[in-house]
Amino acid sequence: MNRKLEPSLGMAVVVACVFVMLAILSMVSDAPAQSKREAPLALHEAAAELPWKRYRDWPTRDMSKFNTLAKLASPPAPKAPRKLAGPIAGDAAAGQKLVADRSRGGSCLACHSMGPAGNADLPGNVGPDLSEIGNAGREDEWLFNVVNDARVYNPDSVMPPWGTHGLFNDQEIGDVVAFLKTLKSPAKYRSPLDDPNKRAAPVEARDNLDDLVNPGLWAVERAQALWKVSGPSGSSCATCHADARVFNSWAARMPRWEPRLDKVLSVEEFVFRHTKATTGATWLMQSTENIAMSVYLHFLANGQPISVDVTSPGAKAAFERGKALTARKLGQLNFSCLDCHDPTRGGLKWIRGQWLGEQKGQYDHFPTWRTSLQTIWDIRKRFQWCQVNIRADELPPDAKEYGDLELYLASVNSGLKLSVPGIRH
Amino acid sequence: MMHRMTRRQALALGAGATAMITVGDAPLAFATPADADAEIAKFTGGKPLTAGKITIDLPEIAENGNTVPLSIVVDSPMTPDNYVSDILVVADGNPRPGVAVFHLTPLSGRAAAATRIRLQTTENIIVVAKTSDGKFLTERKQVKVTIGGCGG
Amino acid sequence: MAEKPRLKVPAQAKKGEVVEIKTLLAHGMETGLRKDAGGAVIPRKIINKFSCEFNGKPVFSADIEPAVAANPYLQFSARVDESGTFKFTWVDDDGTVTTAEHAILVTA
Repeated sequence: MNRKLEPSLGMAVVVACVFVMLAILSMVSDAPAQSKREAPLALHEAAAELPWKRYRDWPTRDMSKFNTLAKLASPPAPKAPRKLAGPIAGDAAAGQKLVADRSRGGSCLACHSMGPAGNADLPGNVGPDLSEIGNAGREDEWLFNVVNDARVYNPDSVMPPWGTHGLFNDQEIGDVVAFLKTLKSPAKYRSPLDDPNKRAAPVEARDNLDDLVNPGLWAVERAQALWKVSGPSGSSCATCHADARVFNSWAARMPRWEPRLDKVLSVEEFVFRHTKATTGATWLMQSTENIAMSVYLHFLANGQPISVDVTSPGAKAAFERGKALTARKLGQLNFSCLDCHDPTRGGLKWIRGQWLGEQKGQYDHFPTWRTSLQTIWDIRKRFQWCQVNIRADELPPDAKEYGDLELYLASVNSGLKLSVPGIRH
Repeated sequence: MMHRMTRRQALALGAGATAMITVGDAPLAFATPADADAEIAKFTGGKPLTAGKITIDLPEIAENGNTVPLSIVVDSPMTPDNYVSDILVVADGNPRPGVAVFHLTPLSGRAAAATRIRLQTTENIIVVAKTSDGKFLTERKQVKVTIGGCGG
Repeated sequence: MAEKPRLKVPAQAKKGEVVEIKTLLAHGMETGLRKDAGGAVIPRKIINKFSCEFNGKPVFSADIEPAVAANPYLQFSARVDESGTFKFTWVDDDGTVTTAEHAILVTA
């Protein structure tokens, strides 16, 4: 400031400053309530490829006979245990191979220690250690039924119904039972790392915001370039948003209930619908442009605590639907979200060498760089892969059910600070 | 950290080793799959290896083998008349054992290098360092590469 | 569009100081061991050689195999006795050479 100002001029400057500050304050206070001038959205087209086609390098099996997040189709659980005509004459050696066969839906070792099976190499601990099951005095019929469909004894079982869902036939279940009966001595692990009860939970210590550590971060530069590229309408993001830094908390409040669409709107779906309505560009969900822009919008809000609205009537109903979906059994393996990610079930345990995280901590780093695939996944692709991996059909990325689930998950992650793009295995 | 093998471990690794290692005065046979051995022999010209003086920093367990951070430090001066000139890295369970050879100079300042590597499976990373006076040091470390839960 | 090489090198150092250098080049490092959907081998295409010079003198270099991960990352050290320029060079199987430079001011 110029200290030689005349008093009257000084006063005028002060008054002017106050006006400017009031104007800024009113803009700031308006910012959260942008409903006065709603962001333009293209409302009538699909936000993802339609009809949805599974990613080219993913398994192509048809799981239409099993539940998805959008429909119920799985066969019912049997009402009573199967009666066997006599003792099982299975092939224990064949059974030992089957329990480690990862092509059948993850194998028994994913969840159980089983003595020498799979070379005692990184078994999981979601289910009990079966290394001494042969001493338990269990009858063939009981063992057969537990493998065939454990729900006949425990309706709440996490175990896949291997027989009912067609993963193993009767002969194969007999072979597995024959192998189980040979297990009579405590598990001997090859190293402490192999013992799932001693294996330390993985800690992600890499600096995800270092561009020499996390190639996902390069998407920020790509998005900054895209920001200035004019679409078919002749305008670009920069036409209306000259300074992207105003989005320094926006993504932390997403997803949100959008009455105009009657669904939950995520950052990625917003990017498609808003861009379509303004610049005219077609940045479908899962396109490289869409993912880059989502990374950038989240990146701009890094450090902000996740804070989504679940109080408005539409949002509350969506939250409740999303919460209910986390308990739905899906696919041929018949897993719900909670089966794997709730600590009272499989959460915070090992499936073979992979750690199952709980729901909290599964949202604040998305979109995230996947080192195993050398690519960025948004949360919707993560949802899709969970389903395909447990042998369920996925939904298109813009499915309403994913919106409900994402709002619920974001709410569970409330308070965690965004750190995007994350880096994960 | 010095890597010392017990006699039992050395025996368990079995025959087929060609690289001779000395720990103190006692010669030990490191059994590496033949290809890894050949790669090391090509580098050393068949000269003997001395275990130790190399610190390998690798995760004990890798959730995938696609990009495993590897850091190597050799306890050595880096002066014009006494320095580490070359560092060979091999992985004995990969389709091909060679990973990289680093060439250093006194201008490197420290006998150290780091990179990120691909591992096919649970396997040993073997590092051999050549000093400017023609000696060869070696060290190894196993990385357990995780088996996924859900299968394919 | 090719990504630019990424470097982390100090801008200043004291004479005789050993500085840490981190480099990364965006590159798929195709191993030559993979097959495409039709069963045909995808040809090898990797960065096979990296080198770093300081004022024309060799500091560090690497012969690289397909077992180095995609986006090859190399971290090493350099002792600097004078101000000058680091020159980094990456050589692709297809003959493409990528270079980058970084100046450092060395004070007494």
